[in-house]
Amino acid sequence: MNETVSKLVNELQAIVGEGNATDDLAICTSYSRDQHWHFVPAKNPAYVVRPGTKEEVRSVLMLANKHKIPVIPYSTGINVRGLTIPVHDGSILLDLSRMNRILEINPEMKTATVEPGVTFGMLLEQTRKHKLRPAFPDAPLTVSVLANYYLRGIYQTSATDGHDHTISYEMILPNGEILKTGSRALSEMPYFRYGVGPDFAGMFCAHPGTCGVVTELTAKLYRLYDNRKEYFIGFDDVGTPTAFIYNLMHDELAASIRLVDNQSWLEGIFGTFDYAYDKLPKFVVCVLVEGVDSIFKAKDKLVRKYINESSGQILELPAEFARTFEDESLGGAEKSCMVFGLPGKGNYHCIGLYGPLTLAARYYEVHEKTALEVGIPKDHIHFYIDPIYSFHGQLCYFELDVFYDGSDAGFGEKLRNYNDKQFHRLLDIGIYGWFRPYAGIIEPTAERIGYLAEVWKKFLHVLDPNEIMNRGKLF
Amino acid sequence: MYMKLKREEILSAIHHCVKCKLCSIASFHPNAEWLPLCPSGQYYGYQAFYAPGKMEIFRAILEGEITEPSDGLLNAVYACTVCGACYEKCKQITNVELGAPDLFEEMRSELASKGWILDAHKSIVDKIKETKNAYGEKYEYKAETTDQNADVMYYIGCTARYRVPEIADAMLGIFDKLGLKYQVMGEEWCCGSVLFRTGQVKAAKELVAHNIEEIRKSGAKTVIFTCPGCLKTFKKNYPDMGVELVHSTQFLTRLGNMNLKKENLKAAYHDPCHLGRDLGIYEEPRAVLSEVANIKKMKREKKQAWCCGSGGGVKSAFDDFALWSAAERLKEVKEAGAEALVSACPFCKRNLKEAAENEELEVYDVVELVNRCLEG
Ligand SMILES: Cc1cc2nc3c(=O)[nH]c(=O)nc-3n(C[C@H](O)[C@H](O)[C@H](O)COP(=O)(O)OP(=O)(O)OC[C@H]3O[C@@H](n4cnc5c(N)ncnc54)[C@H](O)[C@@H]3O)c2cc1C
Ligand code: SF4
Ligand code: SF4
Repeated sequence: MNETVSKLVNELQAIVGEGNATDDLAICTSYSRDQHWHFVPAKNPAYVVRPGTKEEVRSVLMLANKHKIPVIPYSTGINVRGLTIPVHDGSILLDLSRMNRILEINPEMKTATVEPGVTFGMLLEQTRKHKLRPAFPDAPLTVSVLANYYLRGIYQTSATDGHDHTISYEMILPNGEILKTGSRALSEMPYFRYGVGPDFAGMFCAHPGTCGVVTELTAKLYRLYDNRKEYFIGFDDVGTPTAFIYNLMHDELAASIRLVDNQSWLEGIFGTFDYAYDKLPKFVVCVLVEGVDSIFKAKDKLVRKYINESSGQILELPAEFARTFEDESLGGAEKSCMVFGLPGKGNYHCIGLYGPLTLAARYYEVHEKTALEVGIPKDHIHFYIDPIYSFHGQLCYFELDVFYDGSDAGFGEKLRNYNDKQFHRLLDIGIYGWFRPYAGIIEPTAERIGYLAEVWKKFLHVLDPNEIMNRGKLF
Repeated sequence: MYMKLKREEILSAIHHCVKCKLCSIASFHPNAEWLPLCPSGQYYGYQAFYAPGKMEIFRAILEGEITEPSDGLLNAVYACTVCGACYEKCKQITNVELGAPDLFEEMRSELASKGWILDAHKSIVDKIKETKNAYGEKYEYKAETTDQNADVMYYIGCTARYRVPEIADAMLGIFDKLGLKYQVMGEEWCCGSVLFRTGQVKAAKELVAHNIEEIRKSGAKTVIFTCPGCLKTFKKNYPDMGVELVHSTQFLTRLGNMNLKKENLKAAYHDPCHLGRDLGIYEEPRAVLSEVANIKKMKREKKQAWCCGSGGGVKSAFDDFALWSAAERLKEVKEAGAEALVSACPFCKRNLKEAAENEELEVYDVVELVNRCLEG
């Protein structure tokens, strides 16, 4: 595209074709920033490369490895945490969105095998023909299934799906070696996670693009049921509904359980900006029950019993709110981005963590306290809890949210102060883990995990001795 | 009248884009179908060609990071039909305050002010200077005023005059068959749409002044347009002239029963971007079309219609892309089980017809069918 194409661009173009590699400043700029720019400043990759096959991915990686050029894998780039924004000059952004084939849907195995560019929307469009669905994050359904699962996303929309949906995958290392995990390593059957030796699938994942490039991944699919019923129950504080949530999780009753405050995610769950949200109780627990006929009926009966015992208030809401909640939970989230439409608060900051339900009220308390301390107004402080099946240790996902106006530079400063304090405070209270190892979180955490941090770094060094993979993003 | 947006206003809108890319697909629920919406991104693939990528480029221009007009810059900025589909989707989801087409037109005018313009678009300015029409045509389309005092004026527009005259013929035919008196401009100049859409705003001034004067002199109370691009330009970029500006389909709907002989034709209606998303006119063309044909519904329609691919200066500069977008639309027409594709815009008709050259598919403007079904 540029008149003075550099030599490297020529080499990259020789691999992926002229139209699929560029060093054009404007094209590179379009990948320079996501909505986390108050924490991860804008930076251009030097090259954008769009491979169409895994052979091309391999050749690009080997070329980059030879020249020790940083490579940033990018599937759909919607991670909202700056994970695909370069740290170093001269990086190659490897845009994998052209690789968007669904390689297999296996209704018998209840699995799907996908390439990086396949989004949740694309996948559901096909799986629903078999009355199956993937496990959905509460992220827009334009995000990559592979990247989300490979990052070990926590899937807020259906508690029963549990936590890890990855079965096996194939990853290309910087030296061109191809790693296959689980049964994939032994046979053409990629359907079992624990094929041979350690759980390599687990070991290679959740490293934001720092090991190699995953080119295909096999994931679990879940049943779509016809019977569904939704409830919205209001509470005035975070502590009271925890007993109710505990009961639902203990008895494995609900497909989706989400505790949200009345001013943020509820707009997406209901699918409208136009409702008197401030008239609702401060916290709302949204519950979705599903299942086969008599099992569904039995579950529903128990859920109603627990609601009656909960001291919460059943909210009578328009029928379309329940329908949107269903769509968003079991059909892929689209309206979740309505949080970006909150007046004067179009940007999103959150600390996402795993922890036990027993600590819910304390997490909320420290969220409010720290936010107020750094000058964040009360009406910008939001909260989200999502319990996760299996509920061992009362496992929940917590989100400490602040919605704000990103064009207000002063607010960005407040949020940085908030993070500096909050990471330590949360670690002091006790958490199971962070949602993702993103910028700013890893440093205070690494200090506390002892020799594990060393082993982790060495492990990465074995896979990527030249440190080309998303260099600087983790340690 | 044309207003320059404030820098802070632009940056604030750009900062509020979360890069969720939901603007690249039509609403997924309730049918759970993955239907792309952004022709530019879908065709070129790089992030730069989707709305969020373009916004980032605009930020970098405003913040002085991009100081040269590279090929990539010009392609990303101008190979966009400014169709507004991204904005329609985005505002449902994020309530965004500023429309992407406004932002993108502003970006183009920023580029144009630096002289960063495509040759194909620059040459339009020269053509207009010389001939007062966007195609640089020398010949005159024959249209005569039937009554100097008629309240109604038909503004024909460059595309219907010089590229798809069958639309102008049909509109004039309808007037004649219905016995309606009308005026046409003695000297009709280009409305300036293509200049506004490609950021060459200054060059449009003379055209605007001329056309206003022609309308003032005519004493017409209503100006009718078969071209939504012209109509949008008169509405958005011209000062209020105190006359009513209406699209042909609005005018025809108002006439009520025209004794049309309905045909046994299965027709899909394609919403032109300027008519639908820009002017909110969705129902009138459907109402008129349903009088003459059986409408077959396409999956992407109204606010979420797939663009025909020719607007925003794309047809003149990126014809392959324009024809690809049109071909995508034709696939949808067939899927809908239609044998004809009907639009209400000469630009759409021209591009769709060209793409349908080797297809067994008729392409019409709604006024052509009305004219055909009117008793003579
Ligand atoms: C409104 C909103 C809500 C969200 N809620 C949730 C939620 O509830 N749950 C959840 O899990 N996420 C959530 N997210 C986060 C986000 O959607 C995920 O992080 C996302 O799935 C990953 O982004 P992506 O798929 O676009 O991957 P990318 O942004 O392309 O990549 C993310 C990271 O993975 C690496 N990577 C990408 N592809 C590969 C590959 N093929 N091989 C190796 N490394 C790779 C990248 O280098 C990068 O570090 C939310 C996002 C938004 C905008
Ligand atoms: S939908 Fe809106 S916020 Fe999301 S990427 Fe598109 S323009 Fe940006
Ligand atoms: S205006 Fe149309 S072509 Fe341009 S970015 Fe938006 S959807 Fe794509």
